Amino acid sequence: MAIFADAVNLTVVGKGLMVGLGFIGPSIGIGLIGGSYLKSVGRNPEAAKFFGQALVFVAIVELFGLLAFASTFIVK
Amino acid sequence: MISLFADSGPAIHVAPGGVFHIGSWVITNSILYGWVASAILTILLVWTARRVIVKPRGGFVQFVEAGVEFIRNLVENAFDDKRIARKYVPYFVTLFFFILFNTWFGLLPVVGDGFHSGDTPLFRPFTGDLNSTFAMAIVTMVVVYTASIRESGGLKKYIKHFFVGSPKNPLYLIIALLEMFTDLTRVVSLSLRLFLNVAIGEMVIAVFSYLGHFAAPLTALPFTLIELGVGALQSYIFVILGVMYLAIAVNHANHDTAHGEKDHLTEDEQPETIGLAPGSARG
Repeated sequence: MAIFADAVNLTVVGKGLMVGLGFIGPSIGIGLIGGSYLKSVGRNPEAAKFFGQALVFVAIVELFGLLAFASTFIVK
Repeated sequence: MISLFADSGPAIHVAPGGVFHIGSWVITNSILYGWVASAILTILLVWTARRVIVKPRGGFVQFVEAGVEFIRNLVENAFDDKRIARKYVPYFVTLFFFILFNTWFGLLPVVGDGFHSGDTPLFRPFTGDLNSTFAMAIVTMVVVYTASIRESGGLKKYIKHFFVGSPKNPLYLIIALLEMFTDLTRVVSLSLRLFLNVAIGEMVIAVFSYLGHFAAPLTALPFTLIELGVGALQSYIFVILGVMYLAIAVNHANHDTAHGEKDHLTEDEQPETIGLAPGSARG
């Protein structure tokens, strides 16, 4: 195992997994928010005024992706 | 020579660095730039406030006016009672402009690795430091809690809002405790959101100006422009979340006192329509 750890830098692999897996959830979430916003605007064009509220939810979801990215700086 | 894979990576700073000492206190580069930005902001906004006229001629004065108007409408629409809302408008307007201009000043070329003091950069965006965003979130939540306790008329009545029914019922007790805990995590989520957005924006700009090498201004420009939008969006979100936390507690309190006096669906305040509106364009 020590030889393997010397050959492959496991820290980089771990960081890559953290970022990659951590970004899956928020990207699905932002896609769902944008999709439902456009769907509701398509049904009822007056709903376009809720764009600001949609952005608020995007920001709430985005936080978890940023947390995943920021955690890579903790891994040494 | 173009070297894409150089040994030294881009300069990435997650934590602020100390610039000088006052007594035993370390003055970090972020608080230093915060002071600079606050001084500029104070002078700029006082100068602007003297120049507000009835028919605006555009420019910076009108931009500030539009921002104030925007936040005022935001706060007034969130509350049921406009009289209560006006009391809290000044705080949120201040918060909005403070975050907005601190984030935008953080994109200036003087910030970052351009100017050094010893090993650390001389300036760092004030909002790109967890300590300062945490302080802002704590102040906001203290304002929210004191205001909601005052508006609901006493600490006991405020705590009563967390309970759906009798506190002797264990289920209601657990729900109330969970609600209180969720309230406390707001400080962390508010501060982390602003800090991570600004700090990661700085990192992205650093990475792309490093990758661009001799064409660094060209590669970093799009991300700097994105960061302008991110700064505006994050200041808006910080403010609207603070307003929402306040409005939920205050509206709940007012709803209880004015219970049964009037029906909420009168002629002038119609609910948001789901069906066909008369003038809606449907193809």
